[in-house]
Amino acid sequence: MAESQTVPVLDVRGEICPYPMLRTNKELDDVHPGISALDVLTDHPPALSTIPPEAMKRGYGCEIDEVREGEWMIRLFKDE
Amino acid sequence: MAAQTVTPVQPARRFLLPGSAHIAVIAVPIAIYLVALAGGTSLAVFFAVGSAVGFTLQRARLCFVSAFRDLFMLHQGRTLRGLLIGLAVGSIGFAMVMSTIVGDPSGGRTPEDAHILPLGIATVVGGLLFGLGMVLAGGCVSGSLYRMGEGYLGSWVAMAGVMGGLYAMNRTWNWWWDHTISTAPRIWLPTQLGYTGSLVLSFALFGLVYVGTLWWERKQAFVANVTIRRAQPAPPASIADDVRLALRGVFRREWTPVTGAIVLSMLNILLFVRYRPLGVVGEISRWANDLGASVGAPIGLLKGLDSLAGCAAAIAEGASWFTDGFMLNIGIVVGAFTAAVLAREFRLRVPRQPKRYVQSLGGGLIMGYGAGLGLGCTLGAFYSAIPSLALNGWVYGLAMAGGALIGTRIIRRLT
Repeated sequence: MAESQTVPVLDVRGEICPYPMLRTNKELDDVHPGISALDVLTDHPPALSTIPPEAMKRGYGCEIDEVREGEWMIRLFKDE
Repeated sequence: MAAQTVTPVQPARRFLLPGSAHIAVIAVPIAIYLVALAGGTSLAVFFAVGSAVGFTLQRARLCFVSAFRDLFMLHQGRTLRGLLIGLAVGSIGFAMVMSTIVGDPSGGRTPEDAHILPLGIATVVGGLLFGLGMVLAGGCVSGSLYRMGEGYLGSWVAMAGVMGGLYAMNRTWNWWWDHTISTAPRIWLPTQLGYTGSLVLSFALFGLVYVGTLWWERKQAFVANVTIRRAQPAPPASIADDVRLALRGVFRREWTPVTGAIVLSMLNILLFVRYRPLGVVGEISRWANDLGASVGAPIGLLKGLDSLAGCAAAIAEGASWFTDGFMLNIGIVVGAFTAAVLAREFRLRVPRQPKRYVQSLGGGLIMGYGAGLGLGCTLGAFYSAIPSLALNGWVYGLAMAGGALIGTRIIRRLT
């Protein structure tokens, strides 16, 4: 978690359900399989409860930061 | 299965309630309420109820689309279970209200404002189209109304689509009326089963679906039992802190689907006690027709509307723009806007991919046509119809689930 500068950011702002979650899954499964950390930027509140469970299925832990009003960074990471 | 920890993170600066700038937003609904009051009591009441509905939908993020879609896509039944609890509360309340209108239901009389609608091919086709359209658009009709208030541009586009779909529906309405709707039966369960029997049957079905969703979740290897915990602020040390915490629970923290669905049903019952059950589509249909007429393409006579309850009846409501239904719908948008600002979630959300606009518009068109045909949306033909103890509510809900299943297959390909 210390190397937060190097974590790639998936920007899904403007997308509504189910796309923030689908695009995150695609990133984790196909684009960067096995990636150790991914930050997902979203402005869709329901995504805060769809992305984490799907990421956890894949073995990721999760934190949510409120970046600013109506915008959140979902931080997904694998514990070493 | 590796790490499954959810570490709560919540900036401490968010502990205090909305700042003064945010609180000022409540002047908007209050001002509209006062103006409406000058126009008549019912306008003000419909606006107040609409605002409360919009507030509730926003706070609970109560999305009828996710109730169906997530069941198929993610094996998650949490939202649908919330709706079932809400429907159970609504059914008891509606039965109480209806029993004051029709004391003895076995005589063949039905309470005229309850959403007991013709049940036939149109119900099934309408439900299928509605379910498909709402999944494509990413929101149902009431969902699009409250997201319009939250700042979703796509929902404004979807609403334009809904109006287009309703306009197309109204142009073909008389054909549907002559061929199927006019002869379709209206089946009100209490006629055969009485109020008690109808409630017992309804509750048995609620229970069955409830357990069914639990079974469906278990069918998946991983049962997602995740609540995103927000960091708890320091324990309250004074009455002021207690008050702040209570206010925070209402205005800042997300409500559960169960809470939202129960509050929605309570509002529905209250509106039914005073006027009629909730429904938003008839009014939007009227907007579409009025717009059509204003550009020289009037709809003309729509057959049979005066014999229908619910959303279809509202189309014929009045010549003025400022009707009860108008105030209800505007209330939903304003209530959701107010809730979003207070929760500090309001934001202009602009889809970046052009295909999303096509999707919203197309989904809206299909959903609008389905809503016209099925005589209502998730609110009028489902959430108000099942508590009306009318069989059409169940059939519409089932058809909608079928449409949502088809829609889920399609949207996966549009990532």
